[in-house]
Amino acid sequence: MSQAEGGVITSAFILLFYLVFYGFLTAMFTLTMWVMLQTVSDHTPKYQDRLATPGLMIRPKTENLDVIVNVSDTESWDQHVQKLNKFLEPYNDSIQAQKNDVCRPGRYYEQPDNGVLNYPKRACQFNRTQLGDCSGIGDPTHYGYSTGQPCVFIKMNRVINFYAGANQSMNVTCVGKRDEDAENLGSFVMFPANGNIDLMYFPYYGKKFHVNYTQPLVAVKFLNVTPNVEVNVECRINAANIATDDERDKFAGRVAFKLRINKT
Amino acid sequence: GRPGSGWAAREARRDRSAGGGAPPDPPGDMLCTASENLPWANIARLLLFQKTPEIYSVELSGTEDVGKTDTGDGKEKYRGLKDKRLELKKNHQKEELKKEVDLEDHKLSIKELERKYGTNIVTGLSSTQAAELLARNGPNALTPPKETPEIVKFPQADGAILCWIAYGIQYFNDKSSSLDSVYLGCVLALVVILTGIFAYYQEAKSTNIMASFSKMIPQQALVIRDSEKKTVPAEQLVVGDIVEIKGGDKIPADIRLLSTQGCKVDNSSLTGNLTPSLRTHDNPLEAENPWNKMSTSPVGTATGMVINTGDRTIIGQIASLASGVGHEKTPIAIEIEHFVHIVAGVAVSIGILFFIIAVSMKYYVLDSIIFLIGIIVANVPEGLLATVTVTLSLTAKRMAKKNCLVKNLEAVETLGSTSIICSDKTGTLTQNRMTVAHLWFDNQIFVADTSEDHSNQVFDQSSGTWASLSKIITLCNRAEFRPGQESVPIMKKVVVGDASETALLKFSEVILGDVMEIRKRNRKVAEIPFNSTNKFQLSIHETDDPSDKRFLMVMKGAPERVLEKCSTIMVNGQEQPLDDSTAEAFHTAYMELGGLGERVLGFCHLYLPADKFPETYSFDVDTVNFPTSNLCFVGLLSMIDPPRSTVPDAVTKCRSAGIKVIMVTGDHPITAKAIAKSVGIISANSETVEDIAKRLNIPVEQVSKRDAKAAVVTGMELKDMSPEQLDELLTDYSEIVFARTSPQQKLIIVEGCQRQDAVVAVTGDGVNDSPALKKADIGIAMGIAGSDAAKNAADMVLLDDNFASIVTGVEEGRLIFDNLKKTIAYTLTKNIAELCPFLIYIIAGLPLPIGTITILFIDLGTDIIPSIALAYEKAESDIMNRKPRHKKKDRLVNAPLAIYSYLHIGLMQALGAFVVYFTVYAQEGFRPSALINLRVEWEKDSVNDLEDSYGQEWTQYQRKYLEWTGYTAFFVGIMIQQIADLIIRKTRRNSIFQQGLFRNKVIWVGIASQIIIALILSYGLGSVSALNFTMLRPQYWFVAVPHAILIWVYDEVRKLFIRLYPGSWWDKNMYY
Repeated sequence: MSQAEGGVITSAFILLFYLVFYGFLTAMFTLTMWVMLQTVSDHTPKYQDRLATPGLMIRPKTENLDVIVNVSDTESWDQHVQKLNKFLEPYNDSIQAQKNDVCRPGRYYEQPDNGVLNYPKRACQFNRTQLGDCSGIGDPTHYGYSTGQPCVFIKMNRVINFYAGANQSMNVTCVGKRDEDAENLGSFVMFPANGNIDLMYFPYYGKKFHVNYTQPLVAVKFLNVTPNVEVNVECRINAANIATDDERDKFAGRVAFKLRINKT
Repeated sequence: GRPGSGWAAREARRDRSAGGGAPPDPPGDMLCTASENLPWANIARLLLFQKTPEIYSVELSGTEDVGKTDTGDGKEKYRGLKDKRLELKKNHQKEELKKEVDLEDHKLSIKELERKYGTNIVTGLSSTQAAELLARNGPNALTPPKETPEIVKFPQADGAILCWIAYGIQYFNDKSSSLDSVYLGCVLALVVILTGIFAYYQEAKSTNIMASFSKMIPQQALVIRDSEKKTVPAEQLVVGDIVEIKGGDKIPADIRLLSTQGCKVDNSSLTGNLTPSLRTHDNPLEAENPWNKMSTSPVGTATGMVINTGDRTIIGQIASLASGVGHEKTPIAIEIEHFVHIVAGVAVSIGILFFIIAVSMKYYVLDSIIFLIGIIVANVPEGLLATVTVTLSLTAKRMAKKNCLVKNLEAVETLGSTSIICSDKTGTLTQNRMTVAHLWFDNQIFVADTSEDHSNQVFDQSSGTWASLSKIITLCNRAEFRPGQESVPIMKKVVVGDASETALLKFSEVILGDVMEIRKRNRKVAEIPFNSTNKFQLSIHETDDPSDKRFLMVMKGAPERVLEKCSTIMVNGQEQPLDDSTAEAFHTAYMELGGLGERVLGFCHLYLPADKFPETYSFDVDTVNFPTSNLCFVGLLSMIDPPRSTVPDAVTKCRSAGIKVIMVTGDHPITAKAIAKSVGIISANSETVEDIAKRLNIPVEQVSKRDAKAAVVTGMELKDMSPEQLDELLTDYSEIVFARTSPQQKLIIVEGCQRQDAVVAVTGDGVNDSPALKKADIGIAMGIAGSDAAKNAADMVLLDDNFASIVTGVEEGRLIFDNLKKTIAYTLTKNIAELCPFLIYIIAGLPLPIGTITILFIDLGTDIIPSIALAYEKAESDIMNRKPRHKKKDRLVNAPLAIYSYLHIGLMQALGAFVVYFTVYAQEGFRPSALINLRVEWEKDSVNDLEDSYGQEWTQYQRKYLEWTGYTAFFVGIMIQQIADLIIRKTRRNSIFQQGLFRNKVIWVGIASQIIIALILSYGLGSVSALNFTMLRPQYWFVAVPHAILIWVYDEVRKLFIRLYPGSWWDKNMYY
């Protein structure tokens, strides 16, 4: 056997070795991952260590949480409107009526498993009409964006098995962050009234179980924001079991965003 | 008195910043230099490169040789300069040495001397003259090299800090970047500073050991100035001063003797030999006159004139020759540099590759830079520098316990790679004292015990001849024990007298008992002391036999001279006429003993007839009114400086360890060869060309050189050799003795050995050895017999002067090399586990599995103690039975090591850690499939309702916290598998069970430290957000355990195949 041949054979050996070795490692990794995945259920997460306090968020969703409306420039707000249309589509009364239950307000809509898997779980109706002036149904002002009276929608993050409000009513309130913000903010109206969020939308049972779950919303329509000024708005939820003063998590039970209406 | 410790201390300082004030690249600073080489310089450079992409290629090639950091070019230039200067200096020195040889002061008469030096031998110099001369010529001390002040040295060692400043500015410019980067910057800076402080501290500590070690009593000199005797510090002596020397004094400068009273001087530290070192100076104008600074004068008193001071003394010239010799980089420094190159190469190439990938994947450039930093931090073993230093100093401590004082930490390993030991003879291989080795009387040669304590004298002492001989030995001897040493063992007592007489005194004291008492009973009535013209010594004594009123005349001296004076010879106690056959027997014995390289003395006596020499007879040694011929020859006695009893064994061990032992001595070839034979440097069955010629009775030229294994080469022969011939000599013969060599020739020999790619150890004790000690890869000085110059030039000092300690050192050095391999393999492994997260993060867009700060906590936290613990690992097999490693072939970090660590164990570790990471995310709501390409949304601050696999929504902070939990989980995953890694690294070939799991307890301390540090980080500091640790659920600590066990099993299989199939492709590719 020549030396070159020997070299080739050795290289072949080594190649084969690495094939086998890495094949084995992949198999081993896959196996451990598979075993690990057996420990998590499809329906509910094993732990919710970080989700004790749900966060709040706004719609329309923007890059830096700022809602900027150039009244004269249709394009500046049209994207918001498109987003909102899409966002609110599932809330259409027809869809809601077809898929979801009419629930009794003021009470949690509990659907315990009681030993047998109760699946899929029913969800309560949240009709788009409940959003009043902000529902956008037959609205020529496009959620108020074309008139400089924009609607901003507040939603609370879904957390599985979280009984928000601890059986007491809860609502969302918004304020200007600083004094000048409060002045510039002007008046606003909320839908549903007082920014109430009903208990019947809780608890949430997760994507798999709670198939048609409709997240409750609070719409805020800003009526006379001082134009051409940036206004810092902070909305928070007032609920017995949701702390809104977390120093580190600026979005725990609250949401801060910037509002700017540009008028010429 | 003068504070400080004389020139020796200065020498010590000079040694530290070798190269006489040249700031760059002092070998002692390697570790600091390495720290510059390590990560930070690169980061800075890379950052720089980010800003100025056009210099990219230049920088890349720059990083290929990371050893040359930003100052690389400057250094290079400097090196050139240094070399040139060195050469100049060398030439200069050679000239000066030559000049010294031509020194003619000893030929001048006292009057001429007085004129020449403007002094007066009676009144001495005047104080003003002295002050003037002092101002003009400088103090009588060796110039210390210019030293970088320590405070400057410190930041110099960490020029890397600059890198951090650059890094800081980078982030200062972009204020929007999150605080994490600032934290990282702080941590990086802290690492650099701490490593710097640590390296500095280690260096300072080892220097301190040396400083305390070389402390000397301030030297004073008795000088005549203004006609008065004054005691002045030796530093203030000037040329022309008249000094008085007492027995025991060190000669403060080169002096020209003016008058002596029985004064002798021991120049052995200068010449390296005991034999010619004892000079008698009965005649003040004798040619050997000038005495040299640093010699000691053991007996008598003398007056002399200072003719040279300070650097102009012979010793000063040799010392500067020594300090002018450049010190090569130590092998371990080279290895670590090589290792740094590999690591830097991997880091930079992966970093740049992924930078390009990141940019082409449309990541922001700033983000890409952060990835780059992550990749580099993951790749650089930040803790390794400290680990190596600690490991080396631990071994140094262990060796100090075994009487090897290591001055330069890196020398610890150098000794292990040693392939040639050039050993000095006197003092290293031998006991450095004359000892009676053989006796010849009654036509028979007797062997005396030459071991260190002389306890076992077995020769026949019943003969009447011995009685007479012992009497002569005892009486014809001027040496005396210094009083007040009753409790000291005989062999250790201090004797006033020359080496031969001392040997005889101790010999007789051991055998006969109290010699002083015997001398008292045989009162000396007359004496002719030894001188070089007579070549004999004679004394006349009363006898201790009260009935015998005769005087006994005893004589000793050069055998042929003594025999001339004899007409009879004593055999078995009876006087017989000296005929041809007995004379023949005498000559045979004389030649035989001489051939053993021993110094032979003849002894004879004569009982003076009582009638001619009555009790009252007055002997006159000047007129010699007594017979000095027709004496009775009693016997011969030969002396040698015998080998140390431990040396033959040590030489054998060196042999089996593949180390060539070469003897280099200034001594006579015959003596050198005899000692070489007796210690095994020339083994019993090997012959030199001359031996073969003699055996076959043919001329030397006809002997085939191939037949001879051994060679004895004299300095004269060496002088005529070309370097090529020397190379040939060194490769052709396995057993070589160099005799009659000069300091320069020692250097030539060392250089010759180094040309063979050998790592050369040189042992020596004399001042004359210091250039060679400096030139050697590792210089080993003798602690007891060694001169300060030798100790200062050496890297290591043998406190017990025992050659056998070198063998211990070699063993430790080899062990440290093996263990460093293990440490590096251990350290490198986790780099992949730290690197993969970044790669996956960039490519697959998972949330970052491990942060840079967390990586630093592994590198500098959990991994430090375990990697040090590997230094305590015992050797796997008999490391003294294998060849020394080849400097250029057997690297510390070789391809199998890197591949096995990176691509085998490292990859397994990465997978194991990913399992823990995925577990944490999955159980909190993000299944692995949901994580892919989640990165952008995940990291957006504005996204506060990111949906997980279950439909839940997460705020940015909630995600961040989960990410930190992921970091912690990944960290714990790596840590758990590093425990397995640590255990498998205990051995490279043997099974862990062969090595013993619990034999090295420090490993378990390491494992405990790993776990405890991780627990503290997770549960103790989990709330400090800057550190990015969170409290981890207890079960996550065990997720990686199956992978850890897999690592162990896999490595056991690897070792099993290596043992089963030595030489197979498996062995070649998997044994590191």
